[in-house]
Amino acid sequence: MNSGGRRAFLRQSLNLAGLLVAVGGTPRLLRAAEAESALVAGQIGSVLRFDAEGLATLLVPTPDMGQGMITTAAQILADELDLDLNQVTVQLMDFVGEFGEDDRATSGNFEQGAGGSLSVMTTWVALRRAGAYARARIVDAAAAHWQTPRSQLHTEGGQVHNRRTGQSLPYAAFVAAASAEHGTLHPYHVEPKPLSELKRVGRPQGNVHARKIATGQALYSTDLKVPGMLHAVIRRCPHLKGELVGFDASKAEAMPGVVQVVEIKRAPEDLSAPRLRAAGVAVVARSHWQALQAARALEITWDGSLAVADDSDQLRERCLQSLSDGDFEELHRQGEVEAALESSAHSIDSIYFHPHWAHACMEPNNAIVEVASDRATVWAGHQSIPGAINAVSSVTDLKPQQVDARVQRMGCGFGRKYGPDFVSEAALLASAVGAPVKLQWTREDDFEHDYYNPMGAYRVRAGIDREGNLRAWHLRVASDARYSVAPQELPIGLVDASLGETLQIPTQISRGAWRGPQHNTAGWVIQSALDELAERAGIDRLEFLIRLYSGKAVLRSPNWPNADIRPERHVALLRKVAAESGWGKPLGTGRGRGIAVHQTFHSCAAHVVEVQMRGERDFEVLRVTSAIDCGLAVNPLGVKAQVEGGVIDGICAAKYGEMRFANGVPVSSNFDRYRKLRLAEAPREIDVHILDSGDMEPRGTGETALPPVIPALTNAIYAASGHRVRRLPIMGAHS
Amino acid sequence: MSTIQYRLNGQPRSYTGDPNQPLLWHLRDDLGLIGSKFGCGIGACGACTVHLNGEAARSCLLPMAALAGAEVRTIEGLASGDQLHPVQQAWIDHDVAQCGYCQAGQIMAAAALLEKHPDPSEQQVNAAMSGICRCGTYIRIRKAIASVAGDGARGEA
Repeated sequence: MNSGGRRAFLRQSLNLAGLLVAVGGTPRLLRAAEAESALVAGQIGSVLRFDAEGLATLLVPTPDMGQGMITTAAQILADELDLDLNQVTVQLMDFVGEFGEDDRATSGNFEQGAGGSLSVMTTWVALRRAGAYARARIVDAAAAHWQTPRSQLHTEGGQVHNRRTGQSLPYAAFVAAASAEHGTLHPYHVEPKPLSELKRVGRPQGNVHARKIATGQALYSTDLKVPGMLHAVIRRCPHLKGELVGFDASKAEAMPGVVQVVEIKRAPEDLSAPRLRAAGVAVVARSHWQALQAARALEITWDGSLAVADDSDQLRERCLQSLSDGDFEELHRQGEVEAALESSAHSIDSIYFHPHWAHACMEPNNAIVEVASDRATVWAGHQSIPGAINAVSSVTDLKPQQVDARVQRMGCGFGRKYGPDFVSEAALLASAVGAPVKLQWTREDDFEHDYYNPMGAYRVRAGIDREGNLRAWHLRVASDARYSVAPQELPIGLVDASLGETLQIPTQISRGAWRGPQHNTAGWVIQSALDELAERAGIDRLEFLIRLYSGKAVLRSPNWPNADIRPERHVALLRKVAAESGWGKPLGTGRGRGIAVHQTFHSCAAHVVEVQMRGERDFEVLRVTSAIDCGLAVNPLGVKAQVEGGVIDGICAAKYGEMRFANGVPVSSNFDRYRKLRLAEAPREIDVHILDSGDMEPRGTGETALPPVIPALTNAIYAASGHRVRRLPIMGAHS
Repeated sequence: MSTIQYRLNGQPRSYTGDPNQPLLWHLRDDLGLIGSKFGCGIGACGACTVHLNGEAARSCLLPMAALAGAEVRTIEGLASGDQLHPVQQAWIDHDVAQCGYCQAGQIMAAAALLEKHPDPSEQQVNAAMSGICRCGTYIRIRKAIASVAGDGARGEA
């Protein structure tokens, strides 16, 4: 060991009580020989790595966009590994998946994509097994070192304790032996701890990167610098179905720092097919500012003649019109709906509408790609590690096996950062200029080239009997996406006569996953219609919903991921938010409460929203009372954060969310024209309750809170003002 | 090209590049101070917020030419060595961050607010905290600010 390394070791010894060994109650420093062995860098299994100074790093397989996976995975691993989180650093794992048919990268033992609120659910067992395996290898190495049976060893706080001799050694002392390739242990032969022995899972854990974030040191891909890296900005065709006609780059090329101007082809070339990547012209320069200035100086002619019909107002009219005369696809039919409607004591026939929403992630899309003859590397904030690899491969001559992905934490994702477009653009540019390129989207790029939450128009016809029981339910939806969730969701399954229909209206507007895809608006329409029915019946909403959801024991959702629905969970959540919010207690003039419940994928949430009207349509949310059933809550603090965030995101989308297109061109292009909720408009209080139904496994959290909060809000507005919100956004320019 | 002299996190600096380049890109690309984030480029979201002569300012709109003689503080200069600014500590204690991307800007906005108004009114908080957080951490931001404000500030100081 050189003297620098020695000093580093001693410094660590003093920092980490772990390197002090207690013998007969007297601490002493490690013997020199043991100290030498402690300084071998190495990885033990797939989730634990030690550097040459003996510091441990936990490796998290699933990308983090703010949903908290870095912290939650670290918490799960630390529990199995008997490590303290303040002793370790935590970072994202590289790709450890497989290459399937056509060589495409896919997740392996660890899910390396974040979506469907599945991060914790899909990695829960794999993480525990991986942690248990790494710990077992350390214990094995320690048993060999001390020539002691494993039963005499015990691990805690990153140390192995030898009960027989009273000695303790840090895990770092066993790295060499434990990381040796030919260990005798197989990962599948090591059982994780029983739940009853877990000390960290189920306890509140603050963000493990909180200090880095608070000091500006947390790294996103936009923050990275690669040697020799150039910067790129792209001017993209604004027309949804448009093409590049020609451009004059002479001014741009003469500007300082400009290295190259590169044309980017639309993908696919067939203009009638949905756009994966816009046609564009890129400027590659020495700095972002230079690239941006030069890109603005490009003179470009676009052909947008084919897309003029992609217009928000026109599409809205087509969706609404088709509700009366469209040729709908039947997704569900049970019983005689028309007869049941006719014999109902009360009925509704209501039209609901929502426009497109943009994602507006705080960190606009960006990626760094380096392409060499036989290898490429991508650094990006991406929701799918295999997806980022495949995106690079798709536009280069390299196979996915030749692409390394260094996926970084993301400044939001919400479903947008599944897209291959920004990574493939960066790869094209890196190939074209023969140097690493950082592609930075502007905020305008981000709004104009999003994969939007679809537009939808719904007609709900439903009837109740004299006692207020739901007897007939018919929901049809016309959307520019194929909307299958709303026509098949509860109350279908809880009512004897029901019909669900869908119709897709073709447009060129790119659509994609947006936090709680389809559920985000299905929840609003369904829970609003139920509120209307309760009103007709003259029954308290809470009582109406409880009666409805008390009908069945277990249903299987026809919607992805075909989760079990146990309506008793809906009832428990409703009762909880009602009790905690003071449901039923009188409120002053202009005030009202709304209640709603919805299951999204595997988890379910309910809210009571209390509003005070501030004008005809504007309102202030005074208080939100939320309850979530997400199975085992691994990190209750993180679950609460996701509920708070989902509530605010939902209120924001309902109040202002509207992405507009006119003549085939996006109109909303930055935060001045696409309004987002700010602190002044946030609820004064969000009171979150996590219900424990005795689940032994997590069921997901990130998207659960959003779908039911929009109807809870609009139902509250109805209670406060008598105005039924059937068109979003609430503060839109319409009506 | 003329030289612009200013102070950054207490140190004198001179700049000779494009005077129109916004401070944000100088910080990020030229100096490697990446804590201030790009979010919108029009001063609307606040992710790039720094202190200009003690006041919160959107660095994405601040041309370098405007910095002559100015005192700039970024998130990297907010702590005193290892001693975090009370606002930074409050952000950690209240587990504010989710994705974390906007939080340097939020923290700088809050620190400037509390510098000016140690015990701010609700209206002052609302006006000063005008940045966007898409994760929806506003409730925790309010609580973190309240913990540092007024008695909290004196108690923790």
